Amino acid sequence: MHQIQLIRSSTFLWALAVAAAFALFVVALFAFIYWKLDAYLVARSDRMITTQIRFIADLPPSRRLNAIADHLAQDSRGVQYAGLFDAAGNRLAGNIDHLPRQLEPDGAVQGVQLDLLQKPTSHVPVVRAVGRRLDGGDVLLMGRNVDETREIASVVGEALALGLLPAFSLCLLAGAWLSFRAQRRVEEVNQRVQRIVAGELRERLPESGADDPFARLARIVNGMLDEMEMMINALAGLGNDIAHDLRTPLTRVRLALERGRTHAATLEQLQDVTDKAIAGIDQSLAIVTALLRLTEIENNRRMAGFGDVALDEILREVCDLYEPIAEDKRIRLGAVTERHVQVWGDRDLLFEAVANLVDNAIKFTPSGGRVELRLDAEDDTALVRVSDTGPGISEQEREAVLRRFYRSDKMRNTPGVGLGLSLVAAIVKLHGFRLVIGPAPGGRIEILASIGRASRPVTRRSRTLLHADAGGVG
Amino acid sequence: MTPRAAEQEHLRRKPKRSAERRMAAMNRILLIEDDTETAEVIVAELADRGFEVQWTANGVDGLGRARASSHDAMIVDRMLPGMDGLTVIEALRKDQVRTPVLVLSALGAVDDRVRGLRMGGDDYLTKPFALVELVARIEALLRRPSDSRQTVLQVGPLQLDLIERTARRGERELDLLPREFRLLEYMMRRSDQLLTRAMLLEEVWNYKFVPATTNLIDVHMGRLRHKVDGPGEVPLIHNVRGSGFVLRSRR
Repeated sequence: MHQIQLIRSSTFLWALAVAAAFALFVVALFAFIYWKLDAYLVARSDRMITTQIRFIADLPPSRRLNAIADHLAQDSRGVQYAGLFDAAGNRLAGNIDHLPRQLEPDGAVQGVQLDLLQKPTSHVPVVRAVGRRLDGGDVLLMGRNVDETREIASVVGEALALGLLPAFSLCLLAGAWLSFRAQRRVEEVNQRVQRIVAGELRERLPESGADDPFARLARIVNGMLDEMEMMINALAGLGNDIAHDLRTPLTRVRLALERGRTHAATLEQLQDVTDKAIAGIDQSLAIVTALLRLTEIENNRRMAGFGDVALDEILREVCDLYEPIAEDKRIRLGAVTERHVQVWGDRDLLFEAVANLVDNAIKFTPSGGRVELRLDAEDDTALVRVSDTGPGISEQEREAVLRRFYRSDKMRNTPGVGLGLSLVAAIVKLHGFRLVIGPAPGGRIEILASIGRASRPVTRRSRTLLHADAGGVG
Repeated sequence: MTPRAAEQEHLRRKPKRSAERRMAAMNRILLIEDDTETAEVIVAELADRGFEVQWTANGVDGLGRARASSHDAMIVDRMLPGMDGLTVIEALRKDQVRTPVLVLSALGAVDDRVRGLRMGGDDYLTKPFALVELVARIEALLRRPSDSRQTVLQVGPLQLDLIERTARRGERELDLLPREFRLLEYMMRRSDQLLTRAMLLEEVWNYKFVPATTNLIDVHMGRLRHKVDGPGEVPLIHNVRGSGFVLRSRR
């Protein structure tokens, strides 16, 4: 199975293809070299034969026989052939038995088969030969064995084959190794992914130091896994929070109902129990509703309720609404709105956001403290600030409180659903505004809103406003 | 019975609770709600309070009934099989049917409320809701506030001068903050009617939202009551446990 996979892997197939192409190329090269070499060697022997036959033909007839004998005697390798025949075709001299029929005297050099006096043992040699008719009607024939050419070619071929085989094998091996390596890495990734799927969110893909595509891919995926782990943990925490928050009132409801059922003696007692149960269920429902609303606002891109909203009015009205409850807690609540500022948004949601901030501020500010609402505007940016004399939000928590569903320990033990800030963040985001949490001590939360209808996100300009402001306080 | 006739009836009748109930018995309400259990509870509750309720579970049928006979008010679920609740209302309004409609929605979709009111709904309530809230809103829809052209409101010993912005109880001058004045004005326009916290927040402050601090309205009401009901005087502002407040013109 594993081997089949190895062979079928694309890396291996590519290696195989490359090896085949390489082999094909080498064979073609060999053929070319052979062809060139052969042509060259044949041409050379043809030239030699032509020279020799001219030389002997030019000799006076009396010296021809000796010249032929000398010529053959000098040829220690036995590759030269010569023959002198009379007009009737009888051999006068040389080592050729008779005139071959195919050979046309006075023609060009050509390849023929010669019947030699001494029959060669192994095979009939391939011979290049040329004939010439002499004055006396004699025919002179000269030839040369070109087996040599074939031998050289075969030697070259063998050498090439010897080189080709290991090269081809090497190619295949490299392919197999690369394929195996890739497969092993994929397998490792697969195993880790399986572990992640099984719930081990801490698991990461192996990141080698090398800068190969695999490592880069692993780094990208790991980055994504980091984000996802964080989100999943946040969600898991949320699940726990919801479960816990729901269980507390529901447990009370259950106990009250159970006891009421057996112990209530009068209608009033039963009604009392029912009231308690309804209150508990209302509390549970409030949590669910708040969460659904939050999700809704976060996912909602429709803006049917959008219109021109006067921020200064909203601030004054929030102040108006919360004044009595602040007074009850002996907290001074005030709004400073010097300018009329209009933004494009959902009036109810913006009111809710500011109200939530004030609600929180009053909740966390100790008796005798102060909560202040302030509206500033610069160019195209409005700044709504809710500050208080409470403990504020610590550096460590500042990022976290804005994250979806985060609840600080402080918040968890105070009454209320505790999703206030998440809701504010969601509303602010829906409007394309920005939420900024100032440094503790002293609560300080700001909403940076773009003035007018522009739906562009609040960015650079607003930062200058913020920094100039933060500098004044810090 | 048209709303105008109902109002005249309301002005004529003796302001007694029993009389109120008898009057209410003449109110016909059409409920379009596809969840049987929810519908049954609503029907039972409204019947107990003396309303005559017609119930249908789908939009097409509901539209037919609304066209066929006149109702004093309608309760329409937002999500309905066959025909969407908002479509039903839109169709009715096109036919010039002006019956007040309370829209119910399973989810407080942020845009739903806006769209619901734009399509011609008169009030909007998100599920889950308390029955008292539903009844209070239906009664508010049925009983249009007294003439808004009045410049002086009078409920029992209370008198509110809308031009002079002064309030008095009998001979006693009440020193009210603007928001307290607004609150009292709203309550006097809807005297003897249960006003829930959500209704007060929506109508007096004109914002629809659920404050994290649940007793926000109670604190306001406490202040107002402190000023309206002096020591030794018969209390006019009553807290209805778990539901809201009533300004009673009589004991």
